[in-house]
Amino acid sequence: MEQDEIQDLLARCALGEEKAFSVLYRRCAPKLFAVAVRITRRHDWAEDVLQESFVNIWHHASGYNPARSAPMTWMTAIVRNRALDLLRRPRQADGSEEEYQAALAALPDDTPGPEELLQRSHDAHRLSECLRQLSEDQQRSISMAFFYGMSHAELAARMDKPLGSVKTWIRRGLDRLRACLDGI
Amino acid sequence: MQYRNEELRNRLAAEYVLGTLSWRARRRFDIALKENPLLRRAVAEWENRLLPLAGSLPEQTPPTRVWRAIQGRLGHAETRRGWWDSLALWRATAAIATAALFALAIALLQSEPEVLPPRMVVVMADLQTSNPAMTVSWTPGEDGERLMQIRVIGHAEMDPDTEWELWMLPDPEQPPVSLGLISTHELQTMRVPPELNRALDAAWGMAMSVEPKGGSPTGVPTGPVLYMGQCVKA
Repeated sequence: MEQDEIQDLLARCALGEEKAFSVLYRRCAPKLFAVAVRITRRHDWAEDVLQESFVNIWHHASGYNPARSAPMTWMTAIVRNRALDLLRRPRQADGSEEEYQAALAALPDDTPGPEELLQRSHDAHRLSECLRQLSEDQQRSISMAFFYGMSHAELAARMDKPLGSVKTWIRRGLDRLRACLDGI
Repeated sequence: MQYRNEELRNRLAAEYVLGTLSWRARRRFDIALKENPLLRRAVAEWENRLLPLAGSLPEQTPPTRVWRAIQGRLGHAETRRGWWDSLALWRATAAIATAALFALAIALLQSEPEVLPPRMVVVMADLQTSNPAMTVSWTPGEDGERLMQIRVIGHAEMDPDTEWELWMLPDPEQPPVSLGLISTHELQTMRVPPELNRALDAAWGMAMSVEPKGGSPTGVPTGPVLYMGQCVKA
């Protein structure tokens, strides 16, 4: 139902209807902003990501294909890709690398962690079921990578485990996840 | 080249979507994506598998400047910013003593003892004096035509050849929606067409403007806004 509405708004954006775009923004920006904040861990970056993403959404609305993905998935991918690009780009020069690493080290333990969020998720029921079937290490590394946009090396440091182990957990975890989700 | 192997394609697509690839690997992958439809499909499949997880994050409202920046960049007509988006006016409204508003809302509810379900209440302030001037209330969630109770406080007077028009304010970035003309009678009832039900229940505030006979000719308030207030659920 809600999905149909968002799909309809995107279709109207594709036709250049500015009003539909502003409704789309009001409906979806809070969810997408949360995604950007969680990954970038900086509000100013998250704002840039959201801005870039919506400019993109407007320009590429006609490229959205409902047969391929849910509208929210399509927009989330745009936001996540922007956020990850920003996060991964080389940035030793301006000192923001240290700042980011400090933010990572200080990841709040009081806010609900990824694992908890997984349990709270409504529209990802099947996914949570499948995630629960993974080993604890696989689950933890995948959800931390997903929600916090951590690289392999960052995960290894954060979990205090060898890089090779982290890579293997993620690879095997994703394999099992795919098998479970696709019902193989 | 390496993207020809299906297993590898799948693996890289998964890590791309999960976000673990390094900056350089992402760049390379982005370029390959443009050329390789199989790779695009693998990515789309992983997006469908993993991204619904993002829906579990609690929403966070971005600051309004983000929306303004987007509009600016796209050259979209700035959402008509009128008095309904004026901070000064809202400050004026807020200047009414909260206690007075609260007492009034309570009194309003108590004066309708037969009403048990939650009510939406708007206490509108006279923007000149900041005194409570009018209340509007209704029961949200009802099907069919809504009945709004309107109470004009004190003995308000309307200039001849003018009309009072009541407006619903959907939110600060949207123009007001006319609900119709009202009189200065102390107690009035207004029927709201069902198609406005959802917008009404989600409305942010209400306002009353002075308009020429027959109401606003343009569909948005043209005359001075006398009363304004925010909707509260009571």
